Amino acid sequence: MKARYLKVMVVVFAAVLLMLPGSKALAEKPIILGCPLSTAFLYGWDAERGIKLAVEEINANGGVTVGGEKRPFEVEVIDTRDLEPGVPVSEALLAVEKLILDKKADFILGGPVRSEAALAAMPLLSKYKKISILSTGVLTPKYTAMVAKEYDKYKYCFRIHGEAGQLVGEMFANFNELKEKYGFNNLFIIAQDVSHARGAANVMNKVALKKGWNVTGLEIYPTGASDFSMGLLKAKKTNSEIINIWMDMPESAILLKQWYDMKLPALPFGSTLAAAEQPGFWKATDGKGEYTLCNVVNAGNAPCDATPWTMKFYNAYAKKWGVEPEGLGSSSSYMAVYVLRDAIERAGTLDSDKVVSELEKTDVESVYGRLRFDPKSHQVIPSLDPKEGAVGTILQWQAGKRVVVFPKSIATGTIKLPPWMEK
Amino acid sequence: MDILIYGTINSIALALMALGFALVYGISRVPNFAHGALYVITGFITWSLSRTLGFNYLLSIVLAIVAIGVVGALIYQFILIRVRGMAISEIIASYAIGLAILEGLRWGGFKGTTYTLPVFIEGSINIWDVPVDLHRVLVVGIGAAVVALLWLFTHYTRVGLALRGMAQDERAALMLGIDSDIMALVAMASGAMLAGLAGVVLLPLGNIVVEKGYDVLIQAIAVCIVGGLGSWMGAVLAAFLIGFAQILTTVYLGPHFQMVVALLAIILTLILRPSGLFGQQKELEERV
Repeated sequence: MKARYLKVMVVVFAAVLLMLPGSKALAEKPIILGCPLSTAFLYGWDAERGIKLAVEEINANGGVTVGGEKRPFEVEVIDTRDLEPGVPVSEALLAVEKLILDKKADFILGGPVRSEAALAAMPLLSKYKKISILSTGVLTPKYTAMVAKEYDKYKYCFRIHGEAGQLVGEMFANFNELKEKYGFNNLFIIAQDVSHARGAANVMNKVALKKGWNVTGLEIYPTGASDFSMGLLKAKKTNSEIINIWMDMPESAILLKQWYDMKLPALPFGSTLAAAEQPGFWKATDGKGEYTLCNVVNAGNAPCDATPWTMKFYNAYAKKWGVEPEGLGSSSSYMAVYVLRDAIERAGTLDSDKVVSELEKTDVESVYGRLRFDPKSHQVIPSLDPKEGAVGTILQWQAGKRVVVFPKSIATGTIKLPPWMEK
Repeated sequence: MDILIYGTINSIALALMALGFALVYGISRVPNFAHGALYVITGFITWSLSRTLGFNYLLSIVLAIVAIGVVGALIYQFILIRVRGMAISEIIASYAIGLAILEGLRWGGFKGTTYTLPVFIEGSINIWDVPVDLHRVLVVGIGAAVVALLWLFTHYTRVGLALRGMAQDERAALMLGIDSDIMALVAMASGAMLAGLAGVVLLPLGNIVVEKGYDVLIQAIAVCIVGGLGSWMGAVLAAFLIGFAQILTTVYLGPHFQMVVALLAIILTLILRPSGLFGQQKELEERV
């Protein structure tokens, strides 16, 4: 009698569990999100954290509705090491292929992180018809240009964050303001020897000359370089007033320390300046990074009120990971999961072609403004107004805090000069 | 003038990075490919002691250097002694130890830009109108002091003389009652401490990253090959040659060619003079 009673209890308990929506989703076959990320570097781990946070939130709400079924997301991460010096692109390709073939990834999210690796992975994604949403690191305009050029082949590739062209435009908007306010006219460019940074530095050079700036130098440093004294001295000798930095390697913190120690009268204005994007930068440089400006590509990677979702995301990220969003891939990687969920639910299937069509129809308010993809190139549409498109963010370190100074629609402060530059 | 000043700083930094490697090879003929890892881990130990446990910075440095000396001795006593005399095995074993340390640190979460050590002295001065921060000036002083102390140690102390005896002729040293294993152990511990010293002196200029271990190893090997494997004075001279070549390359060819200098120096030395500037290992062979 006792055994029979126990059996009935177990059956009833199991039935109750199955009736719970969350439990039902977890019982269904998960949708695998394959994430090829350089996990030892900021642009890898920030994306991983953003993706995992979004997945946790979505799964907690029952998962993704696919053709009437609720299915959970599951994250598979493989370290591509593509941001490390000397690691060949083939490592990242192996990681992508392993995610597809071995881990049975339904979608690829996040990376590869280095532009060269992402470009090389495009034919692979096309071969396996796997949708990929880039959300961190890759800034080369060539990525989405290739989609536009050979749409049928590369239509599975999307990018949900800003690209180098957009970043250049945002920087010049600030340079021109500095020119008007302080009479700056001499620009010194320092870049890392990687595809996106070299490309962007050359574009900066050309645009600067066209806009009447005097480009006093363009120095390319290899990945892993740890002494920038000669370049900085050159900037000093040429009376440069702005040092435009394109570097995502951690050693860029050394450059900024050297800049401070030399008291160089030129404002460090970076893009993809990984070291300065992190909240720990202040402590790591003992405050020597003050006045450094950097472009963190999209809103939500520094505190501001771009949309009602921005600080909600910011606080949720900080609560889960014990650190504020700290790299250019945080908010975009988080949004990539939500955008993909919406597209899958609209398509009602995981079929790549149908989900591509639905991704192209994406039009939602996000952490960094209205989010839409250009239907031809699959590049997220940028804007200076969060009501119109994906807004960027330029921050400056001021008294130990990351203060958003651009665009004006979301700014919380204005650009300040170091005391040794004030006349 | 900036080339002269920063060339000197760069050269002294290279010499500091390479001296430990040269010392170990010179005495025990063991190429310590874990050298870069010992350099980096000393930085992390110092960071952990001073920032996490709240120890005094100077005390943290001293403890870290002593600890790394013990680690070096243990590596020799428990691993390298078993393969001593088998060159390929020595390289594989020491490289594997280095790899395990560096990748273990990465696996343990020591990644990113937040691991830094404070400089010894804040501020900067102008030397002939060239701005130089005081820590770099101190690097030059410490580097020169280390070279001088190493010379005094190996010329005027019993242990130092025994080490030199070993370096010159191990069999003759054995006949004079010098225990070669003990001396090799002392050399390994001293080499590790020199790697650690270089780490705590140079890492405050930047940040402590795992990748630096691989870079330091390449730089140290380049300096020792050019200077002549086993020759300390050769290593110092080679550090100046490579150090100035790197700065001149940065100024006249562009910074992205700087990385090539060390590798080119290795290739050219191996082609033109395999024994290096002061090396004796292959000199007879070359003459023949």
